Amino acid sequence: MAQMFPSIGEKRPKMPVFTIEECPSCGTKTKRAFKFGDYVYKEGGECAKCHAKTLITMVYAELIQVK
Amino acid sequence: MWTLSLGFLQLGGLLGGGSSPVDLIVYILLTVVSFAVVFMYGQRIQAYSALRDVRINLEKLQGLKDRSRKEAIDYMTTNMKAPKDVQQRVDQVLEYFTIMPVDMDPSGIVGKIEHVTNQQDDRIRAELKSIAPQADPVQLSVEQNILEVATSLNLLFKIVRHFYIQGQKTKSIYIIVQLQMILPMVIQEADALTSAIEAFKLAQPIGDGLGPIVAGKLMVGKEKTTIERETVYAKNEYKGRSIIALKAEGPMGTVGRPHIGVEKILNDQTNKISTIIMVDAALKLEGESTGEVAEGVGAAIGGIGTEKFRIEAAATQKDIPMYAIVVKQSLIDAISVMRKEIAEATDKVVERIHRLIEEKTKEGDTILLVGVGNTLGVSQ
Repeated sequence: MAQMFPSIGEKRPKMPVFTIEECPSCGTKTKRAFKFGDYVYKEGGECAKCHAKTLITMVYAELIQVK
Repeated sequence: MWTLSLGFLQLGGLLGGGSSPVDLIVYILLTVVSFAVVFMYGQRIQAYSALRDVRINLEKLQGLKDRSRKEAIDYMTTNMKAPKDVQQRVDQVLEYFTIMPVDMDPSGIVGKIEHVTNQQDDRIRAELKSIAPQADPVQLSVEQNILEVATSLNLLFKIVRHFYIQGQKTKSIYIIVQLQMILPMVIQEADALTSAIEAFKLAQPIGDGLGPIVAGKLMVGKEKTTIERETVYAKNEYKGRSIIALKAEGPMGTVGRPHIGVEKILNDQTNKISTIIMVDAALKLEGESTGEVAEGVGAAIGGIGTEKFRIEAAATQKDIPMYAIVVKQSLIDAISVMRKEIAEATDKVVERIHRLIEEKTKEGDTILLVGVGNTLGVSQ
């Protein structure tokens, strides 16, 4: 019965979307605003530390709490 | 009776009308008339009030339906370089219907349903390709997803409008009140569908893409093989075991055909699969937390059931255990851009996969890992 009525969820506020880039050699993670054309496991930019090619490991929306 | 009359006399006094016999008669008449109105027209008054409520929601639904149609047309004309007069073609696609096979004799019904739904999918793809031949596969898949939303909203609107008009005509409180009762959930669902369009337009991963993200993690940097339309796999290793990771081909907005992929991999004698692990997003119940990871057994795959049937049949035939790992989320989270809580669950899922492999398999075994879901914005 419960499976027929799952949680539809609350109407979401507009959340900013971020892209996480990870360097496969030194493990540095960079978080930046999502750019059109980004997708998970796409080759990213250059690592600021070791200059190796980074990999986009995540794209997600995050609710920013205003204090 | 004496008490009632005294009560009326007192009421009359309170209202400043005195307690003359005329006042008493007026009050008795008023009471009788109001009782008569409530007895004779009560249901009708309730029906009018419910109809008004339904009409307000119907107007909201119409607004959402029109918005999704406009988004579908705008995406085609601006991103896919479709001709400006595309509205008529889009309206035709929105009215497409699928006649499900007859189920009086259920033998072979799964194959028939699959045949019809594949045909429906092919037809929409062909239509989009003919409207915008220069569009790339990602744009075509995005437009197909937006059209699915627009079609669902169009259908929801039509059904609600049907019962609204029927309620108006018959003044039947039973029809109207039933509609009024389910409308809050219908509107919530319509809102959820509309909010998905934004993620589709920007080709961002959605909550349902969790399975493909997990499978993709094991496929990065490995050689990918296409096993079925829009379905790929790659081989990896973990603690002396071989892992075959299978998912829909990203970053297009597609779920692929994982069931055919599973069948082909299981039937390939060289693979010798000992265990199947399926990862999918699961709709949570109210009160459950978003991003909660749960483990179980069975085929973790949604849809109308044809995919699940084929995976279950193939695994049963070869007596292969099936383990399921799901990440809980609401409907709105499953079809909107992926939330941080869900994205962060991927590492927990990978940990669980590793634990399952260590506990349930031995060195030299081959495990089939299936990442189920829409792979929009998720490559491999």
